Amino acid sequence: MLGLKAISAQNGWEYALLGVSIVFTGLVLLALVLSQLHKLLRLWENRSSIGQLVKERWKSESAVTDQETTKSEPSSDLIESRRQYQMLVERIGEPFALPRLLRLAEKSGLHRPHATINELIQADIILPDDNGYYTWKP
Amino acid sequence: MESLLLDFLSNTGYMMADYRNVIMMIIGSVFIYLGIAKHYEPLLLVPIGFGILMGNVPVFKGLGLSIYEDNSVLHYLYMGVKSGVYPPLIFMGIGALTDFSTMLARPVLMLLGAAAQMGVFITFLGALALGFPLNEAASIGIIGGADGPTAIFLTAKLAPHLIGPIAVAAYSYMALVPVIQPPIMKLLTTRKERLIRMEDLREVSKQEKMIFPIVGFLLCCMLAPAALPLLGMLFAGNLLKEATVTERLAEAARRPILDSVTILLGITVGASTQADVFLTPRSVGIFVLGACSFGVATATGVLFAKFMNLFLRHKINPLIGAAGVSAVPDSARVVQIVGQAEDPTNFLLMHAMAPNISGVIGSAIAAGVLWSFMM
Repeated sequence: MLGLKAISAQNGWEYALLGVSIVFTGLVLLALVLSQLHKLLRLWENRSSIGQLVKERWKSESAVTDQETTKSEPSSDLIESRRQYQMLVERIGEPFALPRLLRLAEKSGLHRPHATINELIQADIILPDDNGYYTWKP
Repeated sequence: MESLLLDFLSNTGYMMADYRNVIMMIIGSVFIYLGIAKHYEPLLLVPIGFGILMGNVPVFKGLGLSIYEDNSVLHYLYMGVKSGVYPPLIFMGIGALTDFSTMLARPVLMLLGAAAQMGVFITFLGALALGFPLNEAASIGIIGGADGPTAIFLTAKLAPHLIGPIAVAAYSYMALVPVIQPPIMKLLTTRKERLIRMEDLREVSKQEKMIFPIVGFLLCCMLAPAALPLLGMLFAGNLLKEATVTERLAEAARRPILDSVTILLGITVGASTQADVFLTPRSVGIFVLGACSFGVATATGVLFAKFMNLFLRHKINPLIGAAGVSAVPDSARVVQIVGQAEDPTNFLLMHAMAPNISGVIGSAIAAGVLWSFMM
């Protein structure tokens, strides 16, 4: 027996279809897991600071709901940012290099790190020393 | 005295050889020439070519000289092929050599390796259509995986009498990838598509590279346990490499073990291609199907890449689909060359390595699946 009949007689179509499906399923699953792997690893590396951030955010959200919304809302953001970045500075120690603080802020998933660090500098919370490094105003 | 001399002369290979031995010796010599002079996969073609020469010197049966005689040295060395021991050891060496970071940087490119494995199953159907039984068709189909150790491993399990022609077909076409692939790639892509530049790959951390072999092994082998000997050794070798604390073991896996097994596998596979076993109409059918399988695998990889581009924001150059044919790293190099023929500043090699490497995993899964079907 030759040709298409030979294929059908030996269930060739079923074998081929199932085989292709299994190979695709295996590699799709692997690709999906690998695509998330670096994110999971980043989460694991920053688990302590993320835990703190979640707590701080929860506390500040509770505080905001108790207060009236005023024109000082931007400064409560600054207070919140100060708390978050103070934790990062405690982690890397003083004096610190700004690029390092920026990298850590990015890794920790903080929102708008460049702009926030700029605000902290302008508010004299992050102060330059004379050697190219920065310190934290207590 | 004269009769003694005549006896001796009649027992020489010159007197016992027929035209088939000569044809096979010419084939062996061509392999050696392609390997040494043309640098076509020399690490494979030179031992195989010399093995063909060794296997086709006519000898008396019963003296323990032929590879098919139980008490011969070549037979003992050939046991590693027939029992399926050599291919997993080679895979361990490949795992210890391979850097999977390009694949980890953009895992979606792994799907191109999966697409190219359709060549395996289409060739399987073609072999069935030509009248081959199921087990032989599966062994012929795996040639489309373009992976020599995988083809030998599966054939040793399903159709050991076909190891010679299938191994020679697989390795020959792997060596001819720079000839087979480019016309198909150009036929199936437009110039505009060949000019697509891929976005830069992200940097992959050391932790990712260390976790990958464990995750990959568990995912793939839990899905297709029959792929355990090949994939288990591949990922084991890779873990030895990435763990850094086992650098000595990784070095052993990728140098002395890999090289020794490659030599023994090449010579014994070559020696198994004796004229009376190899020069048959069945072998011609295997060679024709093998050529088709490489062509189909290349085409399915390229076409799948074009299909993916319908959904992707950052388009992929469809040429890299051809690298799903797991002839590492030759098919990735072919992609680079064809891409650079259109734009000399377009560097596709590292991007092509992702489907190239996933093709190795895909072909091992395909072999495991086919073996489990035939059990």
